[in-house]
Amino acid sequence: MPSFYYLILSFALFLIGTTGVLLRRNALVVLMGIELQLNAGNLAMLTYSRALNDEKGHVFAFLIIALAAAEAAVGLAILVGLFRNRQTINLDEATLMKR
Amino acid sequence: MNASETMFNLRLIPLLPFLGATLLFFFGRRWSRETVLAVAAGAIGGAALVAFDAFFTRLPVAAEAGGLRDVVWSWMATGNLSVDLAFRMDALSGLLCLVITFIGFLIHIYSAGYMAHDPDYPRFFAYLNLFCGSMLVLVLGDSLPVMFVGWEGVGLCSYLLIGFWYHETANADAGKKAFITNRIGDFGFLIGIFLTFQATGTLRFSEITTMATAGSAFTAPFWLGMPMAFWIGTFLFIGAAGKSAQLPLYVWLPDAMAGPTPVSALIHAATMVTAGVYMVARMHAVYVLSPAALAIVAVVGAVTALFAAIIGFAQNDFKKVLAYSTVSQLGFMFAGVGTANFSSGVFHLFTHAFFKAGLFLCAGSIMHAMSGSGDIRKMGGLRKLTPWTHAVFVVCWLAICGVPIFSGFFSKDALVAGAFATEVFGHDMAWVGPTVGTILLLAALGTAFYMSRLYFLVFSGPSRADAETRHHIHESPPSMVGPLVVLAVGAGLGGLLGIPGGLFGHPEWNLLGHMLEPAVGVELEVAHSTELLFMGISTVLALTGIALANLFYGGGYRAPAAKFAAAFPGFVQLARDKFRVDEFYGAVIIRPLRKLSLALFRIVDRVIIDQILVGGTAALVDILGRISRAFQVGDAQRYMAAFAIGAAALIFFATRPTVPAALKVVVTGTTVSVDAGRAGKASPRGLTYSFDFDDDGRPEVEGGSSDARYTYDKGGAHTIRVTVTDPRWNTTSSLKQKIDLATGEQK
Amino acid sequence: MGARTAAGTPGAASLGDLLAPLASGEGVIFLILALGIVAMSIVCMTRKNPVSAVMSLVATFFGLAALYATLSAHFLAVLQVLVYAGAIMVLFIFVVMIVNREETTLISLRGIFWRVGGVVAGLYLLWVFAGITIPDQASAVVVPVPASDTFGTVASIGDILFRQFLFPFEAISLLLLVAIVGGVVVSRSARKETDAVLAADKRIAIAHLSSHDSPVPLIAPGGEGDDGHAAATAGGGGHH
Repeated sequence: MPSFYYLILSFALFLIGTTGVLLRRNALVVLMGIELQLNAGNLAMLTYSRALNDEKGHVFAFLIIALAAAEAAVGLAILVGLFRNRQTINLDEATLMKR
Repeated sequence: MNASETMFNLRLIPLLPFLGATLLFFFGRRWSRETVLAVAAGAIGGAALVAFDAFFTRLPVAAEAGGLRDVVWSWMATGNLSVDLAFRMDALSGLLCLVITFIGFLIHIYSAGYMAHDPDYPRFFAYLNLFCGSMLVLVLGDSLPVMFVGWEGVGLCSYLLIGFWYHETANADAGKKAFITNRIGDFGFLIGIFLTFQATGTLRFSEITTMATAGSAFTAPFWLGMPMAFWIGTFLFIGAAGKSAQLPLYVWLPDAMAGPTPVSALIHAATMVTAGVYMVARMHAVYVLSPAALAIVAVVGAVTALFAAIIGFAQNDFKKVLAYSTVSQLGFMFAGVGTANFSSGVFHLFTHAFFKAGLFLCAGSIMHAMSGSGDIRKMGGLRKLTPWTHAVFVVCWLAICGVPIFSGFFSKDALVAGAFATEVFGHDMAWVGPTVGTILLLAALGTAFYMSRLYFLVFSGPSRADAETRHHIHESPPSMVGPLVVLAVGAGLGGLLGIPGGLFGHPEWNLLGHMLEPAVGVELEVAHSTELLFMGISTVLALTGIALANLFYGGGYRAPAAKFAAAFPGFVQLARDKFRVDEFYGAVIIRPLRKLSLALFRIVDRVIIDQILVGGTAALVDILGRISRAFQVGDAQRYMAAFAIGAAALIFFATRPTVPAALKVVVTGTTVSVDAGRAGKASPRGLTYSFDFDDDGRPEVEGGSSDARYTYDKGGAHTIRVTVTDPRWNTTSSLKQKIDLATGEQK
Repeated sequence: MGARTAAGTPGAASLGDLLAPLASGEGVIFLILALGIVAMSIVCMTRKNPVSAVMSLVATFFGLAALYATLSAHFLAVLQVLVYAGAIMVLFIFVVMIVNREETTLISLRGIFWRVGGVVAGLYLLWVFAGITIPDQASAVVVPVPASDTFGTVASIGDILFRQFLFPFEAISLLLLVAIVGGVVVSRSARKETDAVLAADKRIAIAHLSSHDSPVPLIAPGGEGDDGHAAATAGGGGHH
């Protein structure tokens, strides 16, 4: 199985995640988009790891999963705080840096 | 003569007062008044002891070798300028040193009584010590820069002490006036220093004197055909006129009376204001080379003497009268040094220090008695109430009037006789000496008149004070009277140090003149008969003045005075208004300056700086802020989008193959050779080039080489298109160029 | 993609060559998984209802886990299921329950040009990277070397992780700790804080009343100017 299939899939997944992150209003979905992006990265890592027969890529993927967990925890906490203060999780209503 | 004889720790003399001042500045507030006084008076007293020791035991031995010298350290050495922080004591500076330390010490004692109730007691003594130290640096300085340091130091202390009671605006203003007026003079003084350096390349007094004796450095024409000596002398005299309150820069001195009276006595009568005279005497070797400069000094001094004396006629404030008297007496001194009678000028400086300090301290004592008021219209009859002060005043009064035996008689006579007898002006300006002498005689008459007026109004007749004040009149405490008496002795007998040689045919009796010889040159010999003649004239004039004053004011205001005022109302008013010099300066200098400042303020400050520079900067920042705010939308998604776009743009530009701005085409007949490589850089590996010489979409040459050659079938214009491909990124760049084979023209 | 498969170049990969592996059994499994993953991720990004979005994301992660297994990354496949599809998605579900808002509009029109521009930029990047990934010659197709028996097992990954990558491992654990603390701080109930501020303001107001006999608002509106004074009085007022 040539590795470029996996890479193309990884790119596609990343693009889908990016599109969600950029376009969706709902902060929850944006966070999910970020998870998708991270997973796309993981897929590429593992593909190259397999293609080059080097398990360091697995270690990186492991670290990325841990990072994603941390990111999700903090991101969701912020989201909860935002909801508590503003009763919304829409990003276009959370532009406090502006005003 | 070995070196050890000329060496002496002269640095101790100014150092002690400086040390005292430092201690008082830091600890004075925590110390008791007794400790403050002990430190202050101890410092100046110690300096006095060292000075006396140096002057009487060491100087006579070293006088031949140019006096005592003490190099502390090399201050600055740049290029051919080398200035040491060095002190020198010869007869001239030594004499001044004695006067400063001795009178300074007396005034410290006096101040202990005078300032006893002042809350700023320690500050006062700190300033006073600082002043004494600066003045000693001025006098002992071995070179012009060191002197200038002292010169500025005393100016600073003068400012601080005039404005000592700075809570009153008038006092602070008087301090500022003194300082600013002195700055004008200092400017001239600095230029004088620069010119001296230009002329001689040295700033040490001894070397200047040596070179001046040689002459050539100073006699060469400089500006306007006048010799260097003239310009140096004139500019230095501007400085002296500022410091010593001569026309036209005298206006600060009367206002300086706002300071405490001991300050007036020490700084504005005995020491600081005589610094100008000292400086001219110090630079005498340069001055004698330029009669014109000397004439300026002499005439300005003489006119000042008369002018200030006339103003003194009509003043009603005790200290103001004495202030104008000081201006007048300083004029006498300048007339003396200006007619090359340097030792006479210094002699008068010496006697004046005693009697004027005495007079001022009497004024302080009287004002102390009169509950602080100095208005002589409200005085009178103080002879019995303040007997000690009265006695001292009488001695000093007679001394300043020039009554025989008293000190002022001898010194003033030496000035007048010297002015008539001087030969320094030569044939062309022979008129200067007699003119100056005549003016001085008139001024002496005026002096006798206004001083006697002062005496009669204050001490004789019934008291004109109100009952409340009269009730409080009392003699001053011993700490004030003691110094008075000592000064009176000096004022009475000081003149005996300088009995003119011509009088008794014993030149060696002129101790002072004899002593000053190595420092300022030989005293002018005046014939016996001339001497007697001028002594007679002086005596007659002094007595006339006293008699006139007695006629007008003996025992209080009398009818002739009122009659005179009625006869010449304009003149009296003018004298009372001090000839409106302040108003004149206000109209000619200050008001235009203020208008100019206001205009500058309105144009430069308000418009250029505030609106254009400050406001413009703010507006620029505002505009930039508005622009950049458009990007700071606060929307995280848009930031992320910008990030993605930026990354894409970076990738886009980074993956293009780099091509030169234009193709290099060489045309030979119908053959062209094209180079698409970048000049001076090796072609990157892996790039492929396709050359389409007729721009028809079908490349004629393809490959990894960046240059190609092609021969056209026909001439005329062609378009060459080169496409460069980077196979790694699958990206291309293309270049196009038109050529005309006939002309070789490229576009 | 294969834009530069110029005719006449020897060994050039045709589209057929490139697609051939998909016909194998392995290829079919990949195709099914890939299509499912893409479909589920698109569903995830387009649902209005957050619960169905999370669910489709879980499906995506399962698919990815299966793909990892085909890449001999068994340990990571298990981790993907445990951590992602398990822990993180449960967290998401919890938040969905807390927030529980169904959206009315998927996409806000504010700054839409910027954001669509961002998507276009992403497409461009995809194009570029695909261009360098997809081989243009048959000989350039990268086929993974046969893996050893231990490749991707817990033992071998643990060996590398705790020998070569001990420091990153410890660093990431520190990061997780920080994330926990950060999550607690950010999402902690703000109510208590507000109560404390209100109580302090009340004390200040009482101190004011007792010292000045003048009424002051309980909470000064934007009263920076009064704060220093208020704080000073509050210190004293606290002892009443």
